[in-house]
Amino acid sequence: MAVSLVVPDILVARAKAGDEEAFEALYRAFETPVYNLVRRILRTPEDAEDVLQDTFLEVMRSIRSYRGDGTLWGWIRQIAASKALMRIRREQLRSTDELVEEAAGNAAAPVGERIDLERALEQLSHTARAVVWLHDVEGYTHEEIAEMMGKTASFSKSQLARAHQRLRGLLDEGVPAS
Amino acid sequence: MMHCTMDDLLALRAGEASMWARQHLGDCGICRSALDAVYQRVAAMKALPVLAPARDRWPVVRTALRERRRAGRAWSVVGLAAAAALAGLVVFRSGGAGPLNTDELATLKQQSAALESELGYLAPNDRVMSGREAALGGLLEDQIAVIDGELGHVGLSGGPVPVVDRVDLWRERVDLMQQLYTVRVTRASSMGL
Repeated sequence: MAVSLVVPDILVARAKAGDEEAFEALYRAFETPVYNLVRRILRTPEDAEDVLQDTFLEVMRSIRSYRGDGTLWGWIRQIAASKALMRIRREQLRSTDELVEEAAGNAAAPVGERIDLERALEQLSHTARAVVWLHDVEGYTHEEIAEMMGKTASFSKSQLARAHQRLRGLLDEGVPAS
Repeated sequence: MMHCTMDDLLALRAGEASMWARQHLGDCGICRSALDAVYQRVAAMKALPVLAPARDRWPVVRTALRERRRAGRAWSVVGLAAAAALAGLVVFRSGGAGPLNTDELATLKQQSAALESELGYLAPNDRVMSGREAALGGLLEDQIAVIDGELGHVGLSGGPVPVVDRVDLWRERVDLMQQLYTVRVTRASSMGL
């Protein structure tokens, strides 16, 4: 999702000083982009709302360390993506990613049925969906994704290929499988 | 005929494909269609509607913000009290007497310099830190600044600073820096640095 939102420096300065109105203005400005990002990565709206909340609690705690080197959105997005990936790691401790993918695929994608992109994305594993969204939509590099995930760039690349392979199958795009 | 794998197609998109894949793409309509489909799929993902949260989480964040402000004020009161106590201690000490120990003074200065150097590596800079750590670190830094002020003030006011006072001030400074070091090391460990 391309976000070109620019907030005035004075608003950031006021938020750094603990001004509640300024902080609410920042929250309102970035609430939807943050939610959209984490919702596309995570499986449920409830998880995404929790991460949205955690993200802004972290922004509140750390905004004094934001020095304006990059855009505020870039800084907040990094926090949001990290929080979402952290939640995925916690999920993976409870169940294996592969099982989640298989279970979801079997339940919601009958063979031969053409499904739309939204539903196809839901059929991907946590990790594959996070990688395809962060790389192809948000524009993160494999190296950046690997760093956030605590994995290698090769892992990110293989997850991306896996995601596209599965999306191609689910979307029945009429391209012969290679 | 062998076709491009998904890895090949993504490498072609990234401009990192092998010579074989690039040559094959020129000859194979099926693989060109597959690559087009990748581009179309990504364009479709980017065009998906923006999702908005169903519930407003601002009240929770606002409550946390207010609690943090209250905690910050409490830390400020504690900090001022500590600074006042320290200043009182310095004034009280200036009239006292004790063994002069220039060796200990030199040792304390060395310890202080070593800790300062270590803290330089653990400086917060732009890394994320918790509110509690920031408050505690700020308090310790304030107390160190008070000591530095005392050392500088006494020295500038004329006459050498009594060694006994300097030893106590430097000892206090080293103690505070060790506490600050502990705070920073704990944070670095928790972040896996």
